[in-house]
Amino acid sequence: MEEMQSQQASGGIVVALAGNPNSGKTTLFNELTGSRQHVGNWPGVTVEKKEGRMFFAGQPIQIVDLPGTYSLGAYSEDEAVARNYIVFDKPDVVVNIIDAVNIERNLYLTVQLLEMGANVVIALNMIDEAQARQVEVRAEKLSTLLGIPVVPTVATKNHGVKELIEQVVAAAKCKKNEALRINYGREMEAVLEAVISEIKRGNALNERFDPRWLAVNLLTGDLKLIEGLVNNDTLNRLLLKQREYAKNLEQAYGDDVETIVAEKRYGFISGLAKEVVVKRQSVADRLTMSDRIDKIVTNRYLGIPIFLLLMWAMFQFTFTLGDPMIEWIETLFEWLGEAGGSLLESAGASELMKSFFVDGLIGGIGSVLVFMPNILLLFFAISLLEDSGYMARAAYVMDRFMHSLGLHGKSFIPMLMGFGCNVPAIMATRTLENKQDRLITILINPLMSCSARLPVYVLFVGAFFSAYEGLVIFSLYMLGIVMAIFIGMLFKRFLFKGETSHFVMELPPYRIPTLKSTFIHMWERSSSFIRKAGTIIFAVVVVIWVLSNLPAGVETASSESYLGQIGSLVAPVFAPAGFGSWEASAALVFGILAKEVVVGTLGIIYGVEEAGLTKIIAAQWTPLAAYAFMVMTLLYIPCVATIGAIKRETNSWGWTAFAVGYSLILGWLMAVIVYQVGSLLGLG
Amino acid sequence: MTEVAGITASMQDYLETILELTDGQDGVRITDIAAKLNIAKASVNQAIAKLKEQGLVRQNSYGPVILTDIGREQAAKVRQRHHKLRKFLIEVLGVNPKVAEKDACLMEHVVSPETMARLTEYLIEHGKIESNGDVKCSQQEAGCGNANINYRKEGCALKSVQTKALNELQVGAKGIIIRVVAQGAVRRRMLEMGVTPGTEVTVKGVAPFGDPMEFVIKGYNLSLRKAEAADVFVEELL
Ligand SMILES: Nc1nc2c(ncn2[C@@H]2O[C@H](COP(=O)(O)OP(=O)(O)OP(=O)(O)O)[C@@H](O)[C@H]2O)c(=O)[nH]1
Ligand SMILES: [Mg+2]
Repeated sequence: MEEMQSQQASGGIVVALAGNPNSGKTTLFNELTGSRQHVGNWPGVTVEKKEGRMFFAGQPIQIVDLPGTYSLGAYSEDEAVARNYIVFDKPDVVVNIIDAVNIERNLYLTVQLLEMGANVVIALNMIDEAQARQVEVRAEKLSTLLGIPVVPTVATKNHGVKELIEQVVAAAKCKKNEALRINYGREMEAVLEAVISEIKRGNALNERFDPRWLAVNLLTGDLKLIEGLVNNDTLNRLLLKQREYAKNLEQAYGDDVETIVAEKRYGFISGLAKEVVVKRQSVADRLTMSDRIDKIVTNRYLGIPIFLLLMWAMFQFTFTLGDPMIEWIETLFEWLGEAGGSLLESAGASELMKSFFVDGLIGGIGSVLVFMPNILLLFFAISLLEDSGYMARAAYVMDRFMHSLGLHGKSFIPMLMGFGCNVPAIMATRTLENKQDRLITILINPLMSCSARLPVYVLFVGAFFSAYEGLVIFSLYMLGIVMAIFIGMLFKRFLFKGETSHFVMELPPYRIPTLKSTFIHMWERSSSFIRKAGTIIFAVVVVIWVLSNLPAGVETASSESYLGQIGSLVAPVFAPAGFGSWEASAALVFGILAKEVVVGTLGIIYGVEEAGLTKIIAAQWTPLAAYAFMVMTLLYIPCVATIGAIKRETNSWGWTAFAVGYSLILGWLMAVIVYQVGSLLGLG
Repeated sequence: MTEVAGITASMQDYLETILELTDGQDGVRITDIAAKLNIAKASVNQAIAKLKEQGLVRQNSYGPVILTDIGREQAAKVRQRHHKLRKFLIEVLGVNPKVAEKDACLMEHVVSPETMARLTEYLIEHGKIESNGDVKCSQQEAGCGNANINYRKEGCALKSVQTKALNELQVGAKGIIIRVVAQGAVRRRMLEMGVTPGTEVTVKGVAPFGDPMEFVIKGYNLSLRKAEAADVFVEELL
């Protein structure tokens, strides 16, 4: 009864979705709550807990999507989030999503959950894939053997989801009775007995946690887990004894406790699997579609060329398809500017008002929004990489190379994601187990050219390099990657010595991207792009417009305006890089807020929207200075949102300041080198 | 009594041979080991290098090979296992001594300590060995059971179990995991992901730059760097 009351007080049942990475938790979460969370076909997509709500039979249910985890051991930041939620927040029901194709490894976590005494309902997901592979998993049998509900589901098709939620609601009503007991063998059981009685004698701890589960974790020395509970005398005492216990057991079994426990659990699981899994064909001997693709994609000779080709194709796709669309939008904004202008004139608006609307808003925001098509296409391409399963292969293929530079193959996933936006990319570093690897990957991520830099490139490339558009833009992306790798290498060598990392990663099967998840990707990013245009960029544009018209009476956007003064102050610094004009400097200063603003500011300064902007820039800049300017835009100071993400993920102002500082120096240095070397070669 | 991790079956055979040849002497020459096991000296040198690395033997620049205390203990343990198993097979199960000898040679490397402990208990209970568990034959071969065929002369064949590190397997090869000797967090991670003794692994491929490798284990694809795979010992299935 108390339980029920507490549920109601907190506004309904709390249900956590837990399971191995890539088992379909987020897909299911989206189906249940109608949310549009990011789904992808690689382990480690979700890195923080997400909450959502649904109603079932008029009853509110709170659903929590967790990062994937192979066990409650928690090696990486994202796994720790899942573990801590399950262990310490104690949701009413844990829905354990299991990949039916891969049942044995998935059941390891299940066993841990059951040993903990959690109230578990199993969602046996990906039944469709199991069927395609001629594997049948007997859900009822599994349910009987484990004594918990098991519901077959296909999350991508919304099959079985309703039955699942019915079971969840039923399970929430009756608390699960007993924790699962695995027999760990005579010697181990004897020691467990001793530890358990000590725990029980201790105090109220055993009310919050199953004593046997605590004892097992204590013996396996899962200190990270115990740490959360440790300011307790009994546990402290037991921790001291742990080494001795473990040593005795090691002598008895000839292997350490961890191995014994893992072996016994897997022994139990393979017993289950024998009864539950029916293979109609010898699966092992049949090459699946996925294997065949892998034979080519990770082939010794083809692997690297294919990787490069895919990158190249991604950019070609984004630009060749995107550019004609840009023109449509340009035309739209031109028309909007003209129509708005004449409308305001006929309404008798002042020249100043007109300038605000036409040059400021339409010119400023319009010049940014014009790049919507490129951004949509880029995210479409990235979503194909993510959903097909190629992401994990990129990490696999590049690991040796990255490792030889002191980095990690898994760093490659956040780097690729950085092409979209650095903020989620920096969060994606949570899957890196090693702290140093993670920190380096965070620090170099802003060097990956995110989609907000695109407008800048497209603008300048349109003005000077339209014949070689793909090549020039590709060169900037490559420069970003090369710089990231080079800087990462320097950091590794001089800031973080030693400490070996490991590479243990699952490679998921290739899947055909679903329309829904591709749509989510594009929607998520482009809506945030539009939102950004409507909020930050809007606000900044207004500020810039105001600054360009003050002090009162000054000619709009002239060098005497405040904007001009700010620009002129900074300009000398950039003279060696070829763009020492106050206009360029002002754009860069405000570009720190969001890199699209660079274009927006130039739009206001030159007082025209996109089409005219290209012409004016072509007239006032040199190609070499333009290229140097793009290099600067690529490398200097991460935008405010990215700085915020760096602070959150590193939890250190020091590192955040470092990221800002080094990138500013690097950007300036590279821009100067490009301009000076280019001038020497007579390209100026 | 602690077991030193990661001693492969062939290493155990070497230890056993060295122990036996050492009897009464200061050390053993490589030539003698090679002759005893009927294999090339180069292979013996390689094996000795590994044993040295693991601190099981000492050797001063091509001088005689001497067992360290740990090495001696390990060798004695293998020998004890051999005798107990042989005794059990012959005296309890009534297996033909020759077959028992051969089987004991194989079993001594793979039998789990738990099984061994039970077997010892059984033998003690039924008065087959002394109550302290000793077979008491590490010094004197003659005292070892009545059906003593000439075990020492033949030695346990080196090829009895093909133990390799996982990274030594060729693409397409299969093996059964015998032991995981990795340390720390990565060890636990591997165990939890199903890299446990007794599990079958298949090598699926090697990445373009030659590292990491891809394996199929428990029906899914797992990639490990060679450095991690080197810490997993398997018995290759041929
Ligand atoms: N065929 C099939 N694919 C599925 C099913 N459920 C999910 N998927 C796919 O599996 C992949 C992983 O799905 P996610 O929902 O991102 O998995 P997750 O468990 O949230 O993964 P992490 O956040 O990395 O822990 C995606 O490509 C999904 O489209 C299913 O029932 N059948
Ligand atoms: Mg997810």
